[in-house]
Amino acid sequence: MSEITKMRNIGISAHIDSGKTTLSERILYYSNRIHAIHEVRGKDGVGATMDSMELERERGITIASAATNVSWKDHPINVIDTPGHVDFTIEVERSLRVLDGAILVLCSVAGVQSQSITVDRQMKRYRVPRIAFINKCDRTGANPIRVKQQLIDKLGLNAVLLQIPIGLEDRLQGVVDLITMKAIYFDGPSGDILRYEDIPAEMQEDAAVKREEMLDAVSLCSDELMEAMLEEAVTEDMIYKAIRKGTIALELVPVLMGSAYKNKGIQPLLDAVIGYLPNPTEVTNTALDIDNEEQAVVLKADEKLPAVILGFKLEDGQYGQLTYIRIYQGKLKKGDELVNTRSRKKFKVGRLVRMHASSMEDIVEAECGDIAALFGVECASGDTFCHPSLNYSMTSMYVPKPVISLSINPIDKKSADNMAKALNRFTKEDPTFNTYVDPESNQTIIQGMGELHLEVYVERMRREYKAEVVTDRPEVAYREAISQRAEFNYTHKKQTGGSGQYARVAGYIEPIEEGEDAKEYEFVDMIKGGVIPSEYIPSCDKGFQNAVKKGTQLGFPVVGIRAVVNDGAYHAVDSSDQAFQTAALSAFREVYDRAKPVILEPVMKVSVEGPTEFQGNIFGSINQRRGIIISSTEDGAACTVDAEVPLSEMFGYSTVLRSLTQGKAEFTMELAKYSRVPTSVSEELKAAYQEKRRKEQGK
Amino acid sequence: MEIQELNALSPLRAFDESLNGGLGKGNLGVLVSRHGIGKTACLVHLATDKLFRNEHIIHVSFSGNVEHVINWYKEVFRQISENRSLEDAATVYNEILANRVVMNFSQENVSVEKVLSSLETLIRQGSFNADAIMFDGYKLTVATEDDVRKIKQFAMDLRVEVWFSVSPVRPDVQFDDNGVPSTILRYESLIDVLIGLKYNETMDKVIMTLVKDGETIDPKPMRVTLDPKTMLISE
Repeated sequence: MSEITKMRNIGISAHIDSGKTTLSERILYYSNRIHAIHEVRGKDGVGATMDSMELERERGITIASAATNVSWKDHPINVIDTPGHVDFTIEVERSLRVLDGAILVLCSVAGVQSQSITVDRQMKRYRVPRIAFINKCDRTGANPIRVKQQLIDKLGLNAVLLQIPIGLEDRLQGVVDLITMKAIYFDGPSGDILRYEDIPAEMQEDAAVKREEMLDAVSLCSDELMEAMLEEAVTEDMIYKAIRKGTIALELVPVLMGSAYKNKGIQPLLDAVIGYLPNPTEVTNTALDIDNEEQAVVLKADEKLPAVILGFKLEDGQYGQLTYIRIYQGKLKKGDELVNTRSRKKFKVGRLVRMHASSMEDIVEAECGDIAALFGVECASGDTFCHPSLNYSMTSMYVPKPVISLSINPIDKKSADNMAKALNRFTKEDPTFNTYVDPESNQTIIQGMGELHLEVYVERMRREYKAEVVTDRPEVAYREAISQRAEFNYTHKKQTGGSGQYARVAGYIEPIEEGEDAKEYEFVDMIKGGVIPSEYIPSCDKGFQNAVKKGTQLGFPVVGIRAVVNDGAYHAVDSSDQAFQTAALSAFREVYDRAKPVILEPVMKVSVEGPTEFQGNIFGSINQRRGIIISSTEDGAACTVDAEVPLSEMFGYSTVLRSLTQGKAEFTMELAKYSRVPTSVSEELKAAYQEKRRKEQGK
Repeated sequence: MEIQELNALSPLRAFDESLNGGLGKGNLGVLVSRHGIGKTACLVHLATDKLFRNEHIIHVSFSGNVEHVINWYKEVFRQISENRSLEDAATVYNEILANRVVMNFSQENVSVEKVLSSLETLIRQGSFNADAIMFDGYKLTVATEDDVRKIKQFAMDLRVEVWFSVSPVRPDVQFDDNGVPSTILRYESLIDVLIGLKYNETMDKVIMTLVKDGETIDPKPMRVTLDPKTMLISE
């Protein structure tokens, strides 16, 4: 078997607190990469190896993906530990992009939670084959069979149990493998020693039933197995093959179980990773050929072809910038020449390394399909590097726009310098994190996907860059829009010595109909007979584009607007590009109010999960926040309330929810849409904006 | 077309007329048929019509999949708005969406008390002034008489209109000519309006028969039928 067919690139995705970091830790341990097991929030003060950032250790959450290479039964496996919180989904999406398969970790008590649904949706988007691992079977209330049913009901997955637990909760002893029909126990202080036994007598009947169910489901993916079942000549090998085929084709999801914390079920999970998840040659990846009108080209995981490489993550280490890469085509050697497709810059591959969570080893060559890291390459996250003979770009990743902003002020000169360094790095690493200097207030503004997202970056500035900053109240990224059509006819004239300026533009602005692929801005040229010469049409467009950058209501961008120019006039000498730009800009300012402008606000899809007894409090808290309850699902003692709530009302919600539910409920949110702000609220916003402007002008 | 006109032209006006002005608050209405005839579609169309008229709806489902229910609403809305070329449909949809809550119970055999208490929580603590509650797929045929009485009492206490879609659970149930299963007859006295749905092959329509209306038990076909292709009620 060649190296590449043995290779696996996998991710571990899950709901926060379902134990994925502990699971990653165990995987590292069993594949002999680390010598002792450290717990997340561990008493030994070391913390789990995968969480390399100090902050993560303290909070017990995993922020950035750490890529690490392990080996199991002679198969190299690259494991990407992905963050679980929704605020960081860009990280999850980016790692899914470079993965060939994933382990979906679920908690055997909480089951499929909102975050699992989000993560699963992302996996579907990138067509990532997955196996499910039901963790925490040692917890009180563990019910893996129910969780498997939720995978079917809530995620619509064809989940198939390959194991059943031997004992549950504090009596969890091991698992029954339904393929080999053996009981597996995990002996030794760290579960290193696998002991295979006959299935306990009292479980035999259940195991036989579950095996039949498993075979029925798996046989749908394989004619060979189906025939063998009819002839009663099923072999283990046939079952393995059928599961592998079904998993890679995304037709089924094998379900395994155990408890990472109690060291149970990890080795069979690793066997499943190499047994059922695809190697790099079994996954189709495409790139866009820039020289050929961005036609999609299929990449071949063949080391003889010219290299195509994606830089999917940046990290600033002690020794300079580290770029995590995935090699989709060709291979990479030290000294190879590559071109960054975006910047067109050529560079030579200097230091090439393979990463372990926070240590690294130098390598001379990286194989096709492999994940490695480069040192000192000038680039941004998501850049494509090609062999000089190619001009391919990996398809651009879906990047959501930021919904929240925060102004930050460094306390002294030193902090200001450090802050600039930090921001430079963060924006390169995370496309959902933006920063700019507001020209009016001269303050530095950072933008992101949620309160926590920004908080984490502010803390990282303090800790990693020693940049002390004072933050303001977070601000919502509003939008402005017009609600009706209005006509304009504007003449821009200036004759104050020297060459004059003259331009007249007429036409109308109107809202673009709402719809799924509605544009934010559109310019329509309906000029007839050259009343505005064609060379000045783009100037009009540019003028309007400048105008919509900042509406007059709150100073936020105007969206969903179409500007149509159907008449105008020019002067042979005095007309210019600048004159038409100014005319368009002024025409817009003048007509805007007549088009009845409104304010739009980001509305979040909020999902709250908690015990049913607090359902009333949850309903009430959403109701108080101008929220709309979309649905509420009750499943025994737990309920999930899905709602749409304006982002501006969600500040501090985690604290409120905690006190309303004795800390037993949690929530996630993501951007759902932009909606019109009710009149009462928009009047307040406008008044506050005017007040702020007055103050700034008074300065 | 604007909403007012759309509402005036709705086939549901004929439906209401057959019931002498609609079911009315405090009353129980039941749609019955065999499986797969289109009760859910019918129920969603009834609900959507109410949403168009600014009423507040709670849709109670027992399927475990909320997305499925929401898609039904999307589809019914899409068909109605496209057929009638509704103006500014996307905005209207977002507006009426605010008046609908889907309440889902994935646990098997959840008790009537639990369902009603959750509904009351939503109405009172969530300040959701429901006008009607649609029970989709509730196993009314295996409920006890006491359960049905509690639901009726709830409808009267909270002044809401309650609709059920019912399919028999047992496979050996007998249906009469109007598509009504024998098992429902136990509660006939508690039901205010009973409508049977039955597919008629020659007409290629689902015939809706008003089996019971108030105190009158005199089955007669309604002026509306269900189109098996669009799954919408039509005249």
